[in-house]
Amino acid sequence: MQFRDFSLLVRDTKVRGFAEGLERGELRASRCVGCGAVHFPPRSDCPTCWSGEFTWEPITGTGRLITYTLIKVPPRHFAPDLTQRAPFSTYVYAPTAVGLVEMEDGLRVMGWVCGVAAQNLHVGMALTPKPEVLDDGRATIVLKSEGC
Amino acid sequence: MARVGVVGIGHSRFGIREDASLRELAFEAVRSCINDADVPLSDVQSMVVAIASDELSYALQPSAQVGDYIGFHPKPSFRAEAACASGSMAVRAGWMNIASGLADLVLVVGAEKMTEASTPDVTEVLGRAGDFLWEHPFGMTFPGYYAMIARAHMAKYGTTEEQLAAVAVKNHKYGALNPNAHMRKEITLEKAMSSFVVADPLKLFDCCLVSDGAAAILLASEAVAKKLRPDPVWLSGLGLGTGSLALAHREDLTSLEATVEAAGQAYRMAGIGPEDVDVAVVHDCFTIAEIVAYEDLGFCPRGEGGPLVEHGETCIGGRIPVNVDGGLKSKGHPVGATGVAMAVEIVKQLRGQAEEGRQVPQADVGLSHNVGGNGQHTAVHIFTRA
Repeated sequence: MQFRDFSLLVRDTKVRGFAEGLERGELRASRCVGCGAVHFPPRSDCPTCWSGEFTWEPITGTGRLITYTLIKVPPRHFAPDLTQRAPFSTYVYAPTAVGLVEMEDGLRVMGWVCGVAAQNLHVGMALTPKPEVLDDGRATIVLKSEGC
Repeated sequence: MARVGVVGIGHSRFGIREDASLRELAFEAVRSCINDADVPLSDVQSMVVAIASDELSYALQPSAQVGDYIGFHPKPSFRAEAACASGSMAVRAGWMNIASGLADLVLVVGAEKMTEASTPDVTEVLGRAGDFLWEHPFGMTFPGYYAMIARAHMAKYGTTEEQLAAVAVKNHKYGALNPNAHMRKEITLEKAMSSFVVADPLKLFDCCLVSDGAAAILLASEAVAKKLRPDPVWLSGLGLGTGSLALAHREDLTSLEATVEAAGQAYRMAGIGPEDVDVAVVHDCFTIAEIVAYEDLGFCPRGEGGPLVEHGETCIGGRIPVNVDGGLKSKGHPVGATGVAMAVEIVKQLRGQAEEGRQVPQADVGLSHNVGGNGQHTAVHIFTRA
């Protein structure tokens, strides 16, 4: 089985502009042209008024962390070197926390938590979702604490 | 409405079954079901098979393997699927088969062979039951989703990691008494608390097992059921609810909307309330899932699921015994088999046939709760003796 990463998956959808926006440093929701509903993750089709037309709406400001986890046993596509490591290896996988923030308008954004040690994470803390381009060129979303 | 009764039950041993293929596991369950019902397979008119994953069986129409091996053709058979709730979808489809008048004797089989795939592959495939486009790319796994539910529940209600571990300790205590359970050993609270972290705050002993196994039940119309045996158990209430694909879209992260919906339907159909349930099996794929289920099913008020298990109220002798077969946690979770195995357990309890030490006394009303994914599908079924 072949698994593809985040930005590649989004490129094969009608909201492919989302991935292009991330690479330019823009985190965007979709706004339905028919009824004005704002959706995140973005969607090309509105389940309220059934319109298929949308525009892009930037997500700005700071949200509140509503839950988080640290996944110590990753799925195969995610850390192939870990799951195929040699027997008796002493390599330790140190995951980054994944969090879910709720913005003031109620939109919720999932992302990697950046700049906060695991023991300092707590529900309710302020985090700002931002696009981030990784060293290998893939774009993703991070949740940044102040000063990160 | 015409009633549908359970006239036969069968259950393979759950575990790492390197000794048996998918079709052989299904055969074990069907043979014991047919023997229990004392009805020849030739009298059975139709079959529904639950196998959750094409990826784990690495085959399309894996249900054909079951039908062929038990010798069912050319009679009607089809497959039902909703990830970990597949088995309950098959039970529901079996009920519909009879209630519609299409058949009056229907075999329902659930089976899964999971351990042929590596743990990372199983983690991958199960993780993709959630929103694989928008959430899975962050490395989200099944334990990861339930860890987020746990973290939200702890923040909102003060639920503790010790209360989560108490679910595991209880379910292992009863699983040790169940000859069909995958992991037949008791564990201590200390052991559960000190096991390694899978997805913080969930540790190894907060997670259910990856198992092989099968289960089967035989359903009959009221007239046929009464003719076949003096003690049919009636499938008196069915509920099926659905929830958002993405965890982010749940209005309340501490509850499964699909369970609340399904439970409401099932209680209404059976004409009972949560206070009438004598014994329940709930979907404890992770310990937090059992605590959330207590609250969503109405066994306790919101936020009191942790104290309920901590005070022993879900043990035999407590307010409402839950998962006294060991649950997914200790009995095991061969995903397609689970929903059918839940029906087997409740029928066994209502007949008074459970093993010593895990039989709930005077159980007349039983409930099963089976979740697909992290709440995308949930089935609640109510079984009664009267």
